[in-house]
Amino acid sequence: MAPESAEQPSLWDAAPADAEPVRAAPRILRVTDLNRRVRALLDNDPTLVDVWVEGEVSQPSFPPSGHCFFTLKDANSQIRAALFREELTRAAVRPEHGMNVIVHGRVRAYEPQGVYQLYVESITPAGAGDLHARYEALRSQLAAAGLFEDSRKRPIPRWPRRIGVVTSPVGAVWRDINNVLKRRYPLVELVLSPTVVQGATAAPAIVRALERLYAQEAIDTVILARGGGSLEDLWGFNDERVVKAVAASPVPIIVGVGHESDVTLADFAADLRAPTPSAAAELATPDATQLATILGRFRDRATTALIGRAADRRRFLEAEQRALVRLAPDIGAARQRTADLIDRGGRALDERLARRRASLDGTRDALRTLSPLATLERGYAIARRVDGRIVRDAAEVAAGEALQVVVARGTVDTRVEQARPHDDEELLR
Amino acid sequence: MIDEAKLAVLTDEELARHPFDELVVALQQTVQKLEAGSTGLEESIELYKQGLRLHAACETRLREAELTITELGRRGVTGAEAEG
Repeated sequence: MAPESAEQPSLWDAAPADAEPVRAAPRILRVTDLNRRVRALLDNDPTLVDVWVEGEVSQPSFPPSGHCFFTLKDANSQIRAALFREELTRAAVRPEHGMNVIVHGRVRAYEPQGVYQLYVESITPAGAGDLHARYEALRSQLAAAGLFEDSRKRPIPRWPRRIGVVTSPVGAVWRDINNVLKRRYPLVELVLSPTVVQGATAAPAIVRALERLYAQEAIDTVILARGGGSLEDLWGFNDERVVKAVAASPVPIIVGVGHESDVTLADFAADLRAPTPSAAAELATPDATQLATILGRFRDRATTALIGRAADRRRFLEAEQRALVRLAPDIGAARQRTADLIDRGGRALDERLARRRASLDGTRDALRTLSPLATLERGYAIARRVDGRIVRDAAEVAAGEALQVVVARGTVDTRVEQARPHDDEELLR
Repeated sequence: MIDEAKLAVLTDEELARHPFDELVVALQQTVQKLEAGSTGLEESIELYKQGLRLHAACETRLREAELTITELGRRGVTGAEAEG
């Protein structure tokens, strides 16, 4: 908020351009003009249009219009306050006499009556002690109802297409979420369901914003986020209605509220608690900068697999080839065997022939030995008588008898001179 | 989902318009199928080609992605608001 400075217009500086010089003659204003001028002054004060005030509620009234009017006071001072029906229905507490509260709203002038008052937008009980007590009470109540059970937690979708975001459309949180996702996972569609996130009106507004998102189709993940603040600032996220609405999310919901140390009841009811809104955006998405690496790894794996596959096939083919070779008839060996057989057959035949020939030769020799011709060849002779009988005994022939003496080559016709038996000496000669 | 039959008829441009997660899942499945080693060499080569196409499509999507933002109607625009 801009500090009060010299540039802040004073009542006099803000005089209309057509006003006459002040010192020349005092200008007479009508009451209406005066009140309008005061009102403009208050409306232009940046502090007064967005103010937090702590005080005690005094004498609240609830006319039939549904609005609520009361006096807010401290020990020394008081101011009229108005809480209109719409804000009243959303208020975390109903103003009661003597109640210490913190209100959020703006100061305006009410022209018809010439008064200024506090127009309250939200009202919460003052005093951290009160809030802490209520926080703890509600926490144990909702825990007992099972809203915080771990078994209720669902995993966050890994590849979201649409992410619903419930947060204030103005301020750093929405900007941070945008920046994180632009850098990290721009493939996603963000669906913003805007809401106020502060003050007593926050709770019902957050519930409505959540329900608007729940009515949308094809939302993968919901993020409920707001920046850090005091326990009072974050009170909306401890509201029972908000906690129940978070627990009722039809899709996984991430709650990222405040800074690391801030834990609201809505955090407990979420499927996942993020320490900050930016962290919520990160937890909701994969990191695209890592995705390129992961995708590259997929491609490498495919390449490796294909090369492996080709190598497998080659090994398979080689094995098949070896198997074929093993299984094929061995023609060379067969030929060798055949040749061997032929050789052996031939040799056997030869041997038989040789034996037969030898046998024949033997027979022939025997024949030749027995043949008279062979005997004649060795120098023996055959003596035949005229009638052809062979002479084997000298006593068979008489002197003067004609004999044919057959020798190896030719026949000699002879006549016997003398026949006698031979002695042993003659034979041995 | 993108299966082999669908992949065969899609042009690269059409493929790149598919949701990113479908592309990634299809790529993952293709790689796993390749790695399982139960496909013949011809089919493996086809799978590999598919893998390369899916990878390229993923990269295109990543490169050209721009964050889309939709804002739901503010107060009074949607039915849900009216009851508040």
